[in-house]
Amino acid sequence: MQIDPIEAALFRNAIVALADEMALTIYRTAYSGVLKNIMDYSTAICDGQGRLVAQGLSLPGHLASIPVALQACLRHFGTDIAEHDVLTMNDPYEGGMHLPDIFVFRPFFAEGRVLAWAATVCHHTDVGGRVPGSNASDSTEIFAEGLRIPPLKLHERGVPNATLLRIIERNVRLPERVMGDLRSQLAAGEIALRGLADLAGRHGVAELAALLDDTMDYSERLTRHALLELPDGEATFVDWIDDDQIDADVPIKLVCTVRKTGDRMVFDWTGSNPQVKGAINNTWSYTAGASYCAAKCVMSINMPNNDGVFRAIEVIAPAGTIMNALPPAACAARGLTGFRAADCAFGALAQLYPDRVFAASDGGNTGITIGGTNADRRPFIYVDFMSGAWGGRPTRDGLDGNTNMFANMASFSIEAIESDNPIEVLDYEMVPDTGGPGLYRGGLSLQRTWRLLADEAILQVRADRHTHRPYGLQGGGEGAASRNILNPGAADEHELRAKLTMQLRKGEIYRHQLPGAGGWGDPFTRDLAAVAEDLKLGKITAAAATLDYGVVIRDGAIDQDASRALRAER
Amino acid sequence: MKLRIGADIGGTFTDIVAMADDGTVHRLKLPSTPQDYALGVAEGVAGILRQTGGEAEDILHATTIGSNAILERKTARTALVTTQGFRDVLEIRDLRMPRLYDINWTKPDVLVPRDLRLEVVEKLRPDGSVIKPLDRASVERVIATLRETSVESVAICLLHSYANPAHEQALASAIRIALPDITVCISHNILPEAGEYPRSSTTVVNAAIQPVVRAYLGQLQRLLREQGIAAPLQLMQSNGGLTSADNARLYPARIVESGPAAGVVGAAVLARRFDEKLLVTFDMGGTTDKAGMVEDGQVSRAEQMEVGGGVIAGARLLVGGGTLLKLPTIDLAEIGAGGGSICRLDPAGAPVVGPQSAGADPGPVCYGRGGVLPTITDCNLVLGYLDPAGLAGGSMKLDHQAAWDAIETHLAKPLGLSVPEAAMGMRRIASSTMMRAIRAVSVERGRDVRAATMMAFGGNGSLFAAAMAADLGMQRILVPPMPGLFSAFGLLLADTEHHRTRAWRRRVSPDLVTELQTTLDAIATEANALVAADGYPAAHCTLRLQAMLRYVGQSSEIAVQLPHQNAAQLLADLPALFAAEHAKVYGFAADLGEPIEIISLGAVATGHPATPRLPDSMAPADAPPMPSRRAWFEGVGFVETRVLNRRELNDTPLPGPLIIQEYDATALIPPDWTASRDSFGCIRVLRDGKSG
Repeated sequence: MQIDPIEAALFRNAIVALADEMALTIYRTAYSGVLKNIMDYSTAICDGQGRLVAQGLSLPGHLASIPVALQACLRHFGTDIAEHDVLTMNDPYEGGMHLPDIFVFRPFFAEGRVLAWAATVCHHTDVGGRVPGSNASDSTEIFAEGLRIPPLKLHERGVPNATLLRIIERNVRLPERVMGDLRSQLAAGEIALRGLADLAGRHGVAELAALLDDTMDYSERLTRHALLELPDGEATFVDWIDDDQIDADVPIKLVCTVRKTGDRMVFDWTGSNPQVKGAINNTWSYTAGASYCAAKCVMSINMPNNDGVFRAIEVIAPAGTIMNALPPAACAARGLTGFRAADCAFGALAQLYPDRVFAASDGGNTGITIGGTNADRRPFIYVDFMSGAWGGRPTRDGLDGNTNMFANMASFSIEAIESDNPIEVLDYEMVPDTGGPGLYRGGLSLQRTWRLLADEAILQVRADRHTHRPYGLQGGGEGAASRNILNPGAADEHELRAKLTMQLRKGEIYRHQLPGAGGWGDPFTRDLAAVAEDLKLGKITAAAATLDYGVVIRDGAIDQDASRALRAER
Repeated sequence: MKLRIGADIGGTFTDIVAMADDGTVHRLKLPSTPQDYALGVAEGVAGILRQTGGEAEDILHATTIGSNAILERKTARTALVTTQGFRDVLEIRDLRMPRLYDINWTKPDVLVPRDLRLEVVEKLRPDGSVIKPLDRASVERVIATLRETSVESVAICLLHSYANPAHEQALASAIRIALPDITVCISHNILPEAGEYPRSSTTVVNAAIQPVVRAYLGQLQRLLREQGIAAPLQLMQSNGGLTSADNARLYPARIVESGPAAGVVGAAVLARRFDEKLLVTFDMGGTTDKAGMVEDGQVSRAEQMEVGGGVIAGARLLVGGGTLLKLPTIDLAEIGAGGGSICRLDPAGAPVVGPQSAGADPGPVCYGRGGVLPTITDCNLVLGYLDPAGLAGGSMKLDHQAAWDAIETHLAKPLGLSVPEAAMGMRRIASSTMMRAIRAVSVERGRDVRAATMMAFGGNGSLFAAAMAADLGMQRILVPPMPGLFSAFGLLLADTEHHRTRAWRRRVSPDLVTELQTTLDAIATEANALVAADGYPAAHCTLRLQAMLRYVGQSSEIAVQLPHQNAAQLLADLPALFAAEHAKVYGFAADLGEPIEIISLGAVATGHPATPRLPDSMAPADAPPMPSRRAWFEGVGFVETRVLNRRELNDTPLPGPLIIQEYDATALIPPDWTASRDSFGCIRVLRDGKSG
């Protein structure tokens, strides 16, 4: 079918707007704060074969997730799909990512066949299992991680599946919240079906199918165009996760090889660690999400994300590795591996395209949970995620105090934390001298310190970059390591491991310091004025100015001649 | 003759509109004076007085002085004082970024650099009780630093000060005694609500622009006095209400978005006059278009905005591009598409409109000032919608051939289309982008846009209104008088208005009654006092109350209007009121027994004039008849099309195609629409001649 270029452009605007409207519906109606603050959900429209056509605003980690999950459902159900059915699933070993991510799919029927799908995936607050929040990093098999839902019908011909809903309700810790968030997924699907009906009415069914195809072809053309602009080449990078909390201090290797030829790019994860006991194993789609995120950052065009992009960018992740685990590997805390995979993919791309890639950022967010009971015996669970520093960039410093590229998350307000929990927050600030030195400095660590006001509580922390620090590029230095400190400033102050589960007693103080980000370029070539500015703002100290940057400070000001001499000496 | 005079400053022009006590309206457009905007305003006000021989009664002003200062970082040298351990909150913000996959994205510069962010030793609990008293020595250290660094202004934001302002007040008074020349703003006065980052950011903006706004208003008032003009000066606030110059000096953060607000306020007044239940405003200029919503005569408001946040990318989920202000603001969705938007093909050969704009310089190809790439205005010209004889009453000729050639070369030939087909295609793509702004304020808030009337203004609004309305399924369009100057006109219709909010997080239950009554009475009294201070007797004040509510467990709340001030009755009514609003916005509501939480309470006091401001009718300007011209319509091609001025319309609907050409705007009436002029003076554009 010949497609009119104007009609095609109008359709693309409409279909992307529809996916965005689905995302907004979830944002507005969701019960759970995690959904809103971490924006840990995605929405999409797929074609009848389950290929991604348009994605709403999405968590980068979800870039590849929806078509994989939907196609698994389609394989399972075959032709057994009727109008007003709603499909659901969360099984990582049948298309999912980790158990808290529940997918909901609704078919759009026209002239008796499935023309398109409305798809949503949301990270739910709790899906049962051994710990509240269902995201412990120290589970060792998926059976401990919560309720595992294979492809099933949540509604059958418009009738809710009471059996399935009762099973879900009975197996999760906060059923009102989970059911509320499922309702908002259904509402987003409803918005999509209405919009698709409108588009089918406007364009006709045959042309709608052709326009869905054309939308994917368009992204493919743009992607291949952007890839052609980049020089060909191959590069391999190795990065590390400190450990999986089960085998303490045994580092876990990630290997990414990028091969770019003509209008194709391959991310090959061969050589990465075999899957591990701890719950940080990726599924293929999450590894692909990290690969696509890195690729999108080096391409000069931000094309609509859909199947057309996937046709030009291949992701290879051997089965049985931490990048593509086999059952019954645990995967609830695989967020960490996604962050590190993004770092590793960036590291490979930096060798091919040094002017388009930043040094390593903070390594991803740190998850902190403090749970116990209040004075009046009511339980509380405080879940926080901290994030904060970008690596130095080819033309400027890394950002201080900004969300990681791989997760557009927001921080929790101090005043809200103190209002809702028996916890006092003592500080939340940047730590000087923690950004990797460079021509362009890496972003600074953020630290936050908590004092427990309740009698006792369990503290769980999932941090990393404790022994393997964020890398610098082009001669830039590493960022500072992450730190966990108990009772800072007191006689019994001591450092804790990166990942921990421990008892806190009333009055005890816990401090987390995020990793600092890596620097870009030789710090001895950094502009003296930039060093002076950092010094004035307290982002570096005078000692670091001399040691890291070769800058001599006399009476609080830079001694230009002495600095030049010191820099020349090296 | 007494005149109410509105002055709206734009980047290029300052618009002056004046309404006499007999309802006649006068206008004057003159170049803005960016080196000192007050000069242009004072000159314009004096000019319109000379032109009419009238006497100024009120001067109403919308200004971008505050937002310009923030955008250009020409704010006062400002310090921030926080609780020890929290000075970086202002810079860390809430971590969010507005763009993904862009390693070159950079945060907007923080208004107070780290070395001017100072700390005092103190700490409150969330209920306002004291953990650590304010430490005298740390206060002295702060004062010493302020003295050394010669700052002009200080913002104070201590943790939990919304619950107890004592520490902020003590610190402020110590600073004022030691350094009497410094401006001091405390967060408890600016925004008494929980949330340390929005509160800090709003307080800092207020402190940082206060010296700038104070100087500007002082200069303007001096210039007006020199011209012998003694009428009181009032400023438009971002919330759509007017306030006195004195109040604007104290709370300049509230007038930051004053310009765009005025048009929507004007639309709300007309909506009340015509009893329009749901009205969507569409304001399209040269570089951006903005949409707002008026429901039951009330402008819809947002709780916060970002200065310099940029235009929305469609979804308003991505935030962090600008400087946060958490204050009630007219809810406007903005898209970067206007007459100057450039039309081009992307690397995949697909047609794209904007976001690049040719701006005023070089401007569209047809301006003949060196523009090479075709723009939306060029498309409108080749389609015959714009008069080649020129814009603004013929003061500027348009080069039809140059526009035609540019579209042919850059668009039509590569796309395999005729020039008019390509031009119409680009118009349709621009419409589909702009529609997202309208959907954002209506559909995304659960309102059925098909039932709404569109009010189209701005220089380009009425050129696109019918095409957009058709795509949105809307049936009725109103084009108000003076569409190109409607923001300045809106100033004339605005009322004095003050908002007070109070953080008040409680689960709804009958035992709240005493506390709720006390709190409601307190904010009502505060809001009323502010209106009284602006010179309105109690008989001319009205009060509206609202609560932000959510189901316990939900993480975002919605606004519910409270029909009265009786706490006992309210506690009984709230579940049903909330359920109704929740169903309207989200399409579902829980059972009435579901627990509900109040997050905050708000009061809006409005001062009304003794006599209504809107005249009974507005006579269209005199204009000579115009010849018809060839205009292109889909499925028809070029047809000879009548060109009328507003005066030539009457209450009998005329079928399209028609072009209604005025001094400041052109309305396009496509074939399946009709146009008439109502008794007030608005153009009514109806689809298929449907009544409305």
